[in-house]
Amino acid sequence: MATITIIAEDTNTVTGEIVDGHVLLDPDVLPDALGFALKPEGLCRDDTCVPVRDRSSLFSGDRLDIAAVAAALHRPSVVDAAAGIVAVALDRERRRAALQGLVAPEFTLPDLVGTPRSLSEWRGQKRLLHAFSSW
Amino acid sequence: MIAVALDETVDDVLPWVEGVTLPVLIDREHVLSELYAISNVPAVVWIDEDDRIALPNSVAFATDMFKEFTGAAAGPHLDALRAWVRDGTLSITDDDARAAVADLSDDEVRARLHFRIAVAARRDGDTPTALRHFERAGELAPMDFTIRRAAMPLIGQDPFGTDFMDLYQQWEAAGSPFHGLAPMAD
Repeated sequence: MATITIIAEDTNTVTGEIVDGHVLLDPDVLPDALGFALKPEGLCRDDTCVPVRDRSSLFSGDRLDIAAVAAALHRPSVVDAAAGIVAVALDRERRRAALQGLVAPEFTLPDLVGTPRSLSEWRGQKRLLHAFSSW
Repeated sequence: MIAVALDETVDDVLPWVEGVTLPVLIDREHVLSELYAISNVPAVVWIDEDDRIALPNSVAFATDMFKEFTGAAAGPHLDALRAWVRDGTLSITDDDARAAVADLSDDEVRARLHFRIAVAARRDGDTPTALRHFERAGELAPMDFTIRRAAMPLIGQDPFGTDFMDLYQQWEAAGSPFHGLAPMAD
């Protein structure tokens, strides 16, 4: 068993197995890892489920392959099995819908003292979102 | 204004926001570079009361400090911003706004994933893994400053030094590509 770090909307650390370059998780751990649960209806989070056409493709033995789960969610992923780190991208439809519909996607990020702040806090006001950096 | 620093630590950001009372957030994982298809900073987005993007990713500066380097004077954007805030005036059409920001390519998305793994490995003290992923990210998105330039201070390079100047020349030679609107004309 190994410690696996999964970087998605949140960064979570779970226990899993690394087998032949694949990161495998117990299905019970998937909600902690990625926020989704595998149910008969598919991969579910809150009220929505993403149907899975071929459930067997998600599994290696009785464990879930995290890359296969990400692919079933239509979310690109990069797995560094040796380092035990997996990064999963957003569902690209969120970004596409925003770019085409010109609706600003919601986000929650910490301020400089660690308090989470969301774009939606300022709904009802005109806002300037200014992305900058120290580099 | 909501300022978001695509930076690794609060300490990196603090010198830049002394005296600033507006909300300043930190985006270590570069969530916004993926969510808003941002490939360079500064990137300014005008968002109206109903969460509508009035003006998509734009290069804009508050002062003329970088005018000679970037060709962007502060005045036109500030004037347009004031007009929008005052009475909703917009000179960009919806079609132009939609066309302004191209979606990220698959490679650009993967670059962001490699970058996130790199910073996580670096925080864990795993330098070889970090360097490998910073390099792969740079191969996948060589013209993306949120990947290439952001990595520089994390791999011992100077984002204001010769490594950056080399990158900038390559970028200009490639036609200065980025996801967004060029600076408003003087």
